[in-house]
Order: sequence, then C-alpha cells, then structure tokens
Amino acid sequence: MEFQEVLVWITFLAAISFLLKKFFFKKKKNTKICGQDECGC
Amino acid sequence: MRQINVALVGNPNTGKTSVFNSLTGLNQKVGNYPGITVEKKEGVCKLSRMLKAHILDLPGTYSLNASSLDEDVAIKLLLNKNDKDYPDVVVVVSDIENLKRNLLLFTQIKDLGLPTILAINMADRMEKKGIRIDIEALEAKLNTKIALVSARKNLGFDKLKELISNYKMLSTESCCEITHIDSAYFENLEKAYPNQNIYKLWLIINNDVNFGDLNRNPIENKTQDFTPKSKSELKHLQQKEVIARYLFINKSLKATLTKDINAAKGLRASLDRLLIHKFWGYFIFALILLLIFQAIYNWSAFPMDLIDLGFANLSELTKQHLPDGQFTRLIAEGIIPGIGGIVIFVPQIALLFLFISLLEESGYMSRVVFLTDRIMKKFGLSGKSIVPLVSGTACAIPAVMASRNIENWKERLITILVIPFTTCSARLPVYLIIISLVIPDENLLGFLNYQGLVLFFLYFLGFGMALFSAWLLHLIMKNSKKTYFVIEMPDYKLPIFKNVVITVVDKTKSFVFGAGKIILAISIILWVLASYGPNEKFSKAEQIVNEEITAENLTLSAEEVNTKIASHKLRYSYIGYMGKAIEPVVQPLGYDWKIGIAVITSFAAREVFVGTLATIYSVGSENEETIKQRMSKEVNPVIGGKLFNFASGISLLLFYAFAMQCMSTLAVVKRETNTWKWPILQLVIMSAFAYVVSLIAFQLLK
Amino acid sequence: MSIADLKSGQKAIITDISALTIPLKLLEMGCLPGSEVEVIKINKIKDPLYLNINETYLAIRLETARDILVTTLNTSDETN
Repeated sequence: MEFQEVLVWITFLAAISFLLKKFFFKKKKNTKICGQDECGC
Repeated sequence: MRQINVALVGNPNTGKTSVFNSLTGLNQKVGNYPGITVEKKEGVCKLSRMLKAHILDLPGTYSLNASSLDEDVAIKLLLNKNDKDYPDVVVVVSDIENLKRNLLLFTQIKDLGLPTILAINMADRMEKKGIRIDIEALEAKLNTKIALVSARKNLGFDKLKELISNYKMLSTESCCEITHIDSAYFENLEKAYPNQNIYKLWLIINNDVNFGDLNRNPIENKTQDFTPKSKSELKHLQQKEVIARYLFINKSLKATLTKDINAAKGLRASLDRLLIHKFWGYFIFALILLLIFQAIYNWSAFPMDLIDLGFANLSELTKQHLPDGQFTRLIAEGIIPGIGGIVIFVPQIALLFLFISLLEESGYMSRVVFLTDRIMKKFGLSGKSIVPLVSGTACAIPAVMASRNIENWKERLITILVIPFTTCSARLPVYLIIISLVIPDENLLGFLNYQGLVLFFLYFLGFGMALFSAWLLHLIMKNSKKTYFVIEMPDYKLPIFKNVVITVVDKTKSFVFGAGKIILAISIILWVLASYGPNEKFSKAEQIVNEEITAENLTLSAEEVNTKIASHKLRYSYIGYMGKAIEPVVQPLGYDWKIGIAVITSFAAREVFVGTLATIYSVGSENEETIKQRMSKEVNPVIGGKLFNFASGISLLLFYAFAMQCMSTLAVVKRETNTWKWPILQLVIMSAFAYVVSLIAFQLLK
Repeated sequence: MSIADLKSGQKAIITDISALTIPLKLLEMGCLPGSEVEVIKINKIKDPLYLNINETYLAIRLETARDILVTTLNTSDETN
C-alpha cells in the first residue's frame, strides 16, 4: 500500500477511537461540562 | 517558590468572580470538580518573590447550610482537611452594601477555625452610597483583618495580597458563639469529641456529609446520653443558629457602620420602574432580544465571509503544494473544510456570549427573572427558569446545570426537560447556512433584514415550544411540595470590561476546542467513508461512467465528465450505501440521502451538519467553491429543482428546531435527574415530534 | 397580618415566620424576626413581591409572603 494510504487509515482509526472514547468510555472520569470542556453541542 | 492555597468564598452577586479575575488575571483555568458538573475555577497569583497563591473560586453561597450541589462543594472543601485544595486561608468576599448579610457566611467560616480574611468589594461606591465603616473597630469585633477592595477600579489588591501572605498572623478563634441555642446538645457533642471543632461537628450532622473517619452516625451514637435530633428539630435549630448569628452581626455593625439611607437609591428605583413595568418591561426585553439576534446576524457576516473564503483558498493551496495522494486529499477535502466549518462560527458565538454576560453583569437578568415569574409560574416553571432558558441559547448543558438554583423539584425538572427546545448556539450554524440558501437577503421596510427576522422567529419558536411543553408537563405531573421562590435583586452596575472579555474568550475557546474536536473527527471519518467503496462500482467508476457516456452517445465537456464520475463514486461509496439505506425515511421531508447522512451525524453535535455537507460535497470537487455555493447547486433527485428550496429549507429548519440531537445534553440530563427515564423520554418525544412537523411543513409547502 | 397585606412603601417589623414552610435560605438572606421590611410595589405588581429587608432587595412569591407575619411601623395614614 502506498505511504499516503497508510497515513489516511491511521488518521481514520485515530478519529474513530477518539469518538468511541468520548462517548462510550468516559464513565470513569466524569469531567464533561459545556462551556469548559468538550461538550458536543 | 512556596505555594499556599487560598479559597475565595462569598454570596452570589458580590463580585467574587471580579475579585478572582483581579487577583489572577488571565492566569486561570476552568474545570470541574471530579464526578459532578460544578464549575471549578482556579488560578495563580504571585504574592511576593518567595510566595505564590493557588486561588480557588468556590461557587457562590449564602451560608454553609447546603441547599444545592454548588453550595455542597464549598462546604465539603472547607470541612475536609485531606483535600489537596484545603485552604491555608479563606478570603470571604462581601460587597459594601450587603455587608450584614455577607457576614453570616463570614462568621460561619471563621467558626470553623480557619484563618479568614474579609475582603469588602465595591469600596469605591461607599461614598456614593453614604456608607462609613470603622475598619479597625470592625476588625476587632470580628477578630480578623479586613481589606477594602474595588475590582472595578483595581484598588486595594496590594493590601489584600499582603494580608494573604501574612495569613499566619490571623487569629483562628471563632468570633460568634452559637452553642447557647441548645447548650445541652452541644455540651454532649463536645464531650464525645473533645478534640474536634464543635461547629464543624454541627455542620457535619446538619449537612449529612461523610468524611472518612468523621460522619454523622458515629458522632451521634458515641455517647449514651446523646439523643439525636429529628429532621424538623435540626431545621429549627438551624434557624436558631441563623438568628443567633444575625444578633451578633447586628451588634458588631451597630457600633462600626453608619449608613445614610437616603443616599443614591434613585438609580435603582427609576430603572426598576421602567425595566419591570407591566408593559414596557416586556417590551424592552423583547427589544433587547431582537437587537441581539440582529447583531449576531449583521455584525458577523463580514468576518464569516472572510473565514469561508480563507479556508477555501487554503484547501486549494494544499492541493497545489503537497505531493498528490490520498492523504493530501484527506487534508484538503476532509480536514481543512472540517476545521473551517468550526472556525466560521466563532464571530457569532463570541457575540452571543458577549450579550449574555453583559445582561448578567449589569443586574438586568434578575429583573427578567422578576418580570417573568408570574408568567412562568402558569407554565409550571419558575422565574428562575428564564436564566436556564436564556443560557440555553448558548448551550443546553450549562443551561441544565443553571437550573440547579430553582428551589422546587417539579419546576426544576420541567425546566430541564424543556431546555433542549431553546435554540442553542450549535443550531446557529445550521440555521444560518439554510437561511442564507432559502430566504432572500432583502429588507422589510428598508431596515429589517428578512434573514434576521427568520432567525429571530426560530429563536422565538424554540422558546414558545419550550413554554408549551412545560405547560403540558405541568398538567401531567403531580405537584408534591409547596413551591417557593426567592431571588435577590442586585444593584444595577456597569459591567466590568475585563469580566466580560474573560467570559467571552473562555466560552468561545471551549466551543472551538471542545465541540471542534468532535467535528474534526467526524469530518475525517466521513471523508474516508466517502472516498472508499465496497465494490467494483466504486473502484471502476471512471470506466463505468465513460461506458455509459459512449452508450448514450453524449457529448460532454471534460469538467462535466469529472462531475459525473465524482457523483457516481459518491453514490457507490460506503457513505453512499449508508445514505441510500436511510433515504426512504428522510425523503418525505424533502431531503436527499446526503442531507440524511448529515442529520444522522449531527446527533454527535448539531453543527456537524454543516461540516458533514461540506465534506460530502467537496469530495471530488476540483474548484475552490465555498460550501454555500456548492449547496445551492444541488438538485433534488426525485422531484427535480433545487434541493435547498423554500419547502425543504423550512422543513430542515423545523427539524433542527425541535429534534433532540445532542448526546452530551442527554448525558447531562441523566446526571442531573439521576435516571435514564427523562433523557430517553426527551430523545424519543422530541425527535418524533420534529419528524412529524417537518413532514407536514414540506408536504404543505412543496 | 402578613407581608402580603402591606401596601407599597409601607414599613413593618417581622414578628414571626412559619418555621416549617419558610425556607432556611430566606432566613439566611436576612428575613428573620426583628428585621425591618419594606414592600416596594413598582407599577402595582403584586406577585412576586419586591421587598427591601434591611437593605437587601429580594423578591418572593405572594404565597410565601403570607407565611411571614409582621406588625406595621407607620400606622399613620395607611392602616387598613
């Protein structure tokens, strides 16, 4: 596979894992608040 | 350098945050207390070459008797010696005019045995208000040191810093004896815990908070002759405590403070007469709202166009200068338009927060609460619901949390449930782009912009819907407790420029970096899904399209062929298949599958809508058109004509006005109501309602 | 009589508050027996009731006001 293709898929996986972490594995640290932290609205 | 912990405590409306800002400047960060959604503001202040202070701005509270989550935070910190933020010294911030009431909190904290400094803010207004204080005498009565400060004029902070530095010189003795309110009870407590601060024990019993080895039950069970108090007895004793403290305070102030009652009441009276007038009050409130929305629309148009164009150019430059390949395309077509889709809303969000913080700072917001309580009560809400509902225009999450100061649970729950109907700033991007596509940019009567009017109407609609559903809920839900309502009516003040700037910068930054990260991640995923396909129809798109053209004997320019290939590719990409699958659901609303995808992705965050469309449309596009131009060229695949026309535009606007599309809001409602029942009800009912309304609108208008 | 019965501008002293229904918060804000209270009826708005208690300005609903008993100070021309 071409080098650029590899970069694309790495970025893609990073994006997916970021979202998963954000919405499904944030139970332990309940530090979300809008206006201060990452709030998605 | 040595560091000490300083806690800033005070009543609401005393300018505590201004004092905090003056001490720390921009050297502050806002976060959360772990596990709860109470804002934690901390900052650093350099006291001398050898010493700096870590300053914690605790939530405003009237006393140490917790009646809300916010107040709980203050109490827990002051009682817990093991907390890493446990203060070496406490600064109680009071304002000059309500010194008496502020001293209640002061005496309570002093009685905990903490070194406590009294900072009297707004000292610059003393003369105007005809107030004179004998500082030395008051210091003696309260057994502490006092600093007169003015956050507005930036006066007195050297003295305050000096007092903080020398906190070890302060007396830690209590100043106000309260044990006489029930001598026998307190004697027993003292016997059981000879080494503990008696007031601390009392607070622990009262507030039912647990701290490791010290909690309520063992305290009460330790001695045989100790009879625990019932809840109502405790409440009665608490009332007695408040009264005893006020007696002490009155005595202390009588000898030290003189006040010319007739001085400068004029401004309050005359402004009140106008601003809470039965007719003019509402009229002015409506006018202010209209002004805000017109300003958001008109003032931000120019910077937004610049940003839009800038990102389109950047995209083009990237393509020209980076080596050709998939990753370059990801940057130019996915990431840059994605970031552009966030940055473009900075001007508007900054403006909105500017206005909200001006209204709060000036004292006008309390008048709105006063003015609206009578009306809100009929809808099962409280006048205090107006603050959450208005902050809901920024973001539903802080709004849900702002509902905490509503005393009655039913009123509070209804407020929380209807907040998502108010138009939050995340809907703004969606509204703006659709309005600019389907509503003419012309003026009514020469000065009222139609687009601005539609925007105003949408805000109005959200608010109206919130009220209507509150009324429905009010009818359905049973009322268990007697409601009550107390609101302070603070003095009118000119907003302090620094405070306003800090709020605006804070909130805008958190929008860009908070919501922005999600949008960026989604843009990347979407681009990949749109740039790859599962089968040969995607990978051999060029071949297939060329064969089609030959078969049908078409003569097309090179550019037309490219567009045809691009749209063929998109159709058979992963996202194309996903979109097609949901198309039957969204078609009756006047949307194509691309909009369908955008609607779904906006469940992560509404403003993702714009970024999604930007990403989907720019895939394969060769020239530097802006998002808006691309959208306006789209054709409805079923009925022909422009995809974004009046009917589908209105349908989309209505869908976004009513649908519950924010995962973070659902999460915060769950946390505040302590059950999944309410957020799930919100999600289902609001989304179903949005679908039906949009359906009707499109079918009627098309 | 209670605060709810006061006329605009009339001053009174709080004599008793119904301990079970009045929130502690109201006491903490200075609404306690012995405090002087003035009712400010701007534009004849009766509910919520705009009060000046010891120079603290606050507003409460009429139903809460009924639970705060007072005796009037200036009985000259405004007695019922």
